[in-house]
Amino acid sequence: MKLIPKFKLITSVLVLILVHYSYAAVDQCLKCHQELDDNPSKLFIEDVHYKAGLSCKSCHGGNSNIEDMELSMSKSEGFIGVPSLNSISEICSKCHSDIEYMEKYNSNINTGQLEKLKAGVHGKLSVNGRGMILQCITCHNAHGIKKVKDPESPVYPTKIPQTCNKCHGNASFMQTYDPGIAVDQLTKYRTSVHGVLNSKGNIKAAECSSCHGSHDIFPSADVRSKVYKLNIPNTCSQCHSDKEYMKDFPIPTDQFAKYQKSVHGKAVFEKQDLSAPVCNDCHGNHGATPPGIESISKVCGSCHALNAELFSASPHKKAFDENKYPECETCHGNHEILIAKDQLLGVGKGAICLKCHSENENQKGYFIAKEMKKLIDSLIISDSIAKNLIFQAEQKGMDVEEIKFKQREIHQARLEARTIVHSFDEVKFKDVTKKGFKASELVITDANAAIDEFHFRRYGLGIAVVIISFLIVIIFFYIKKIEKNHIS
Amino acid sequence: MENKLKKIYKWIDNRVQLGDLVNFMSKKYVPVHSHSIWYYFGGVSLFFFIIQIVTGILLLFYYKGSADLAYESIRFIMSKVQFGWMIRSIHSWSANLFILSVFIHMFSVFFEKAYRKPREMTWITGVLMFVLSLAFGFSGYLLPWNELAYFATKVGTDIVGVVPFVGEPLKYFLRGGDDVTGATLSRFFGFHVALFPGIFTFFLIIHLLLVQRQGMSEPLHFKNLEKDQKKTMPFFPNFMLRDLLLWLVVLNILAILAVFFPAELGLKADPLASAPAGIQPEWYFLFMFQTLKFLPAHVLFIEGEVLGVLLFGLAGLLWLLVPVWDRKSARGQNNRLINYIGIFSVLFIIILTIIGWVLK
Repeated sequence: MKLIPKFKLITSVLVLILVHYSYAAVDQCLKCHQELDDNPSKLFIEDVHYKAGLSCKSCHGGNSNIEDMELSMSKSEGFIGVPSLNSISEICSKCHSDIEYMEKYNSNINTGQLEKLKAGVHGKLSVNGRGMILQCITCHNAHGIKKVKDPESPVYPTKIPQTCNKCHGNASFMQTYDPGIAVDQLTKYRTSVHGVLNSKGNIKAAECSSCHGSHDIFPSADVRSKVYKLNIPNTCSQCHSDKEYMKDFPIPTDQFAKYQKSVHGKAVFEKQDLSAPVCNDCHGNHGATPPGIESISKVCGSCHALNAELFSASPHKKAFDENKYPECETCHGNHEILIAKDQLLGVGKGAICLKCHSENENQKGYFIAKEMKKLIDSLIISDSIAKNLIFQAEQKGMDVEEIKFKQREIHQARLEARTIVHSFDEVKFKDVTKKGFKASELVITDANAAIDEFHFRRYGLGIAVVIISFLIVIIFFYIKKIEKNHIS
Repeated sequence: MENKLKKIYKWIDNRVQLGDLVNFMSKKYVPVHSHSIWYYFGGVSLFFFIIQIVTGILLLFYYKGSADLAYESIRFIMSKVQFGWMIRSIHSWSANLFILSVFIHMFSVFFEKAYRKPREMTWITGVLMFVLSLAFGFSGYLLPWNELAYFATKVGTDIVGVVPFVGEPLKYFLRGGDDVTGATLSRFFGFHVALFPGIFTFFLIIHLLLVQRQGMSEPLHFKNLEKDQKKTMPFFPNFMLRDLLLWLVVLNILAILAVFFPAELGLKADPLASAPAGIQPEWYFLFMFQTLKFLPAHVLFIEGEVLGVLLFGLAGLLWLLVPVWDRKSARGQNNRLINYIGIFSVLFIIILTIIGWVLK
């Protein structure tokens, strides 16, 4: 008997629930806003989240099942209205930071975007002082969010340059954050190989995020940045050393391997030398273009200015231009530039001069190279004699600081000789080596004098000890003599 | 020649009565016994002091006592000035040997109880000169203004700073400011070449006058001997010739040390650089430095370092006043306690110095 009213009650509740949900299957928020024909509702039906089954309330709160607008958009139903400032990104991260939740959608999207954004330069406080510089929607849009792989997405590779440029091309906006930062990156980028390919729709070509990162962007002076000077070779090599990735492009992929072995690469990787050139120092960054035959000396000359200037005034300039030889590269190579050792000069084994000069062909250069090598070899020998003598004097405990200082002039002359060699002028070369020979003569004389002084001290000591000892003996015997029978 | 020398002697004798002095010295006798060797260390110390004065004056011709020029002037002395390297090396070696010789002289006097009446003042002036010798060493060490000297002075003056009540003002006074700077160098230079030599010379004159006036102390057992059993030798010329002989031996040793181990200069002091590893004071401060290092951070309610400094201060005071509290020796009795204290002090200094040296 008692079972009947209870059964009735349960059935009534179930019917009510069924009726309620069948009625609410329609998203009441979207329905109303579509009736209003507003922009958010138009965009939202194309949004990746809408397609995945999310509704307006996912971000804005409220109850999308209730037809009554007042009730559905009431605080009691959790309606939060239009989120602003950091709460926008926090709402996104509610789901995007939740690994389990994202797995429901078979998503392989990284879940740490907000943390990365906060750590990066865009996560800093904006000038309004109330929130981060960027929110998720700044780059991804709000209601019409597309998948990154969707060509319509503002963060699709071909769209990224324009998206970044919205702020980075706006001088008045950028001035409020960093008045020193350039705002013509997009213009330069469009002139680069990467930019040209990108504008043609090539999604493999590097765009802003390829080098700077996406959520975790740091200023280039920050060691964590992918474009921090010492990180650049690795950043570029991510694509340029990947044979599979680069198979569509007719360029080699061994630049990084070669660069690592080069004098520049060693300075960067072994000594963390910030003054050494990395990829962008020669190729440019936003306007990245491989230097051509005519411009290579300008590229190298931006650091090796004197060498470039001497070369331009030398007889080789004309010959190289006529034969279309790339200036510096012909002798020194490009990515694998090794330390310019003295063996490069002359007519012996390993000399580059022999590439064009021999006893039978272009003889003048052959004999000049031979003479120059002879001079530099003599200077090296003088330097080593000087060093050896200084070492000997130092081992004997003599003060050789001043001689060592003079010895630097020999080294300086050797360095200067390496520069002046680019003039390929025998007379100028002789003048420089002459300075070195003069310095080595002085050093050798001084070092010998220090060694002589050492011997003088020893002989002097010997004589003094003999004299003093003689006096000691005399006094000793005198004491003996006077003390006979004197001690009472 | 001999006549001329006699004439000169006569000329001087007429004016200052040299005969009295010669007469006094020839009648002065030095006791001869198994411990007579220790008498010579006073003379050796005096010889080293004279060398310090002579070489110090020569160094003054070129040395410049300012932070900008001190190091460079020493480098100039070592490399450019004729025999400058030798003068500085002798000054440096002689300083070390002087302090060693003073240590030996002081301990020999202590063990012989030669401080007993009537030589209390000789002992006190001697101990004060010993303290001044250490001060000479400490102030002179900074003068080359090199890295080691700079940081050693910093550590040394820091220790002065822990003395209760007067430590901080004293540290400030020594440094001429909060830190070791050019001002410290200037005043250390002043102390080293003017103040300390002045005071030292004053004490030295008193000390020597007392020694001349009272003669050498006889060992305790001499009082039991008959007059004819007491062996003696004339001060002049016998003892003085022996002194001279030893001085020449010492001079030989000094010359060899100066040539084979010339004084080093090291790197110029850089107040902004971090202290090099193994900073230590000179060897004669090492036993105190090592003791302070061994003391725990706190002993009961007092800081270990403060306790150490106070104990050394108290020990120094007792050492200075030993003629006052050692009544037994004054009465001519053998005081074994003094021997034990002396042996303990010598062992303590030697062991702690070796440990400090090994743990460098």
